[in-house]
Amino acid sequence: MRGSILALIVLVASAAASANETKYYDLAKGDYPHDVAISEGGEVWFAGQKAGIAGRLDPKTGAIERIALGKNSAPHGVIVGPDGAPWFTDGGQNAIVRVDPASKAVKVWPLPPERMPYTNLNTAAFDGRGRIWFTGQNGIYGRLDPSSGDMKVWDAPKGRGPYGITGTPKGDIWFVSLAGNYLANVDLESGAATVYEPPTKEQGARRVWSDSKGRLWISEWNSGNVSVYDPAAKAWQQWKLPGASPRTYAVWVDPDDKVWLTDWSTNAVVRFDPETQTFQSFPSDRSGANVRQLLGRKGEAWIAESGTERIRVIRYP
Amino acid sequence: MSAASSLPLGVRAALLGALLLSPAGAEDGDAARGERAFQRCFACHSVDPTEPAKLQGPSLFKIMGRPAAAVPGFAYSEAMQKAAAAGLVWDAATLDRFLIDPEAVVAGTAMSVPPVRDAEERADLVAYLKRSGTYRP
Repeated sequence: MRGSILALIVLVASAAASANETKYYDLAKGDYPHDVAISEGGEVWFAGQKAGIAGRLDPKTGAIERIALGKNSAPHGVIVGPDGAPWFTDGGQNAIVRVDPASKAVKVWPLPPERMPYTNLNTAAFDGRGRIWFTGQNGIYGRLDPSSGDMKVWDAPKGRGPYGITGTPKGDIWFVSLAGNYLANVDLESGAATVYEPPTKEQGARRVWSDSKGRLWISEWNSGNVSVYDPAAKAWQQWKLPGASPRTYAVWVDPDDKVWLTDWSTNAVVRFDPETQTFQSFPSDRSGANVRQLLGRKGEAWIAESGTERIRVIRYP
Repeated sequence: MSAASSLPLGVRAALLGALLLSPAGAEDGDAARGERAFQRCFACHSVDPTEPAKLQGPSLFKIMGRPAAAVPGFAYSEAMQKAAAAGLVWDAATLDRFLIDPEAVVAGTAMSVPPVRDAEERADLVAYLKRSGTYRP
């Protein structure tokens, strides 16, 4: 009975999804958009991991500009910083990379020599003090102060696994470990990490995003859950995504605190409403979309389809 | 019909590409350098059969000669299972090609890795993987 009710909720929600508008942008073959981000002004940036480029998409015209990031570049993540510029975690160069949105000049901050040549740099987030924090899946996390160039790198708890990272509205930094199966909060000055274990064992916490209240939403790859940790209440909650065996890859929380996720099993973007505790599914129109990340702004969710080499946008009321 | 001609065109093309591009280099790699290059793979893979962590990629212990998608209990992608059904086996040539561009060998694979563009580095990696021994069913 409970299953039937859940199925009905998903069905109704899927029908409602048709009220939204989806558009796809084809990229050059080999660009392989791993992550995507949008600036306040509406510039869409993507990390072209295979091609070693920063991609800039103008949603109005569909024009795409490709900016080479350097020898051996292979960017994994991209975010737009408080300066309005795209910042990349570049695994190939083992460096943090900034592209000036006006001049397109590329600035590279390599990791310290003892962390070369490869830490599998993953994702980045800004704290409230103008510094960018990053994760490296080989078992590190770090902090760069772009104004001074000072960079510090720490070994992560439990070794390999640090993946998604996020900043809260207060400027705190949290990251998750995929292989380590935990959420961690860092001390912004000492860099010390405090580990928080989700209730589901070996859940595979892959990405994390803060909502407007500083609650941390986590996409759990192994369990197929979305979970949330409320630091104020010190409480966890979790929900299984729709479908028989969901694989929750990415998470982004929109300005209205709706939680956007990607599920590889159903090849869909899924929106979770924490108030009604219902899911709404937005399947891709092609198989094997392999969406590794999504990010947006009010009314727009931008999605990187690494498998089809397209950027997708869902515009919603 | 030969075993090779029964493979899907994409897999055949990938295998042919691997044969054309890599075997000499793959045979001549340096395992010591390859151990360092393995940092590229380290986040998701291990060559230690006693590895306690549940990693995102399958164990690479004794991968040489192993058919694709053959580690018991590992949740392979549908794409990798199809490649296995089509006859993909991991050897110096197929690994070399996979390291250049995983999608070109197994379209839709979950593996995402910056392309290993340097032939010598790929050869070193293969040499390192060889060190753990050869697959025995």
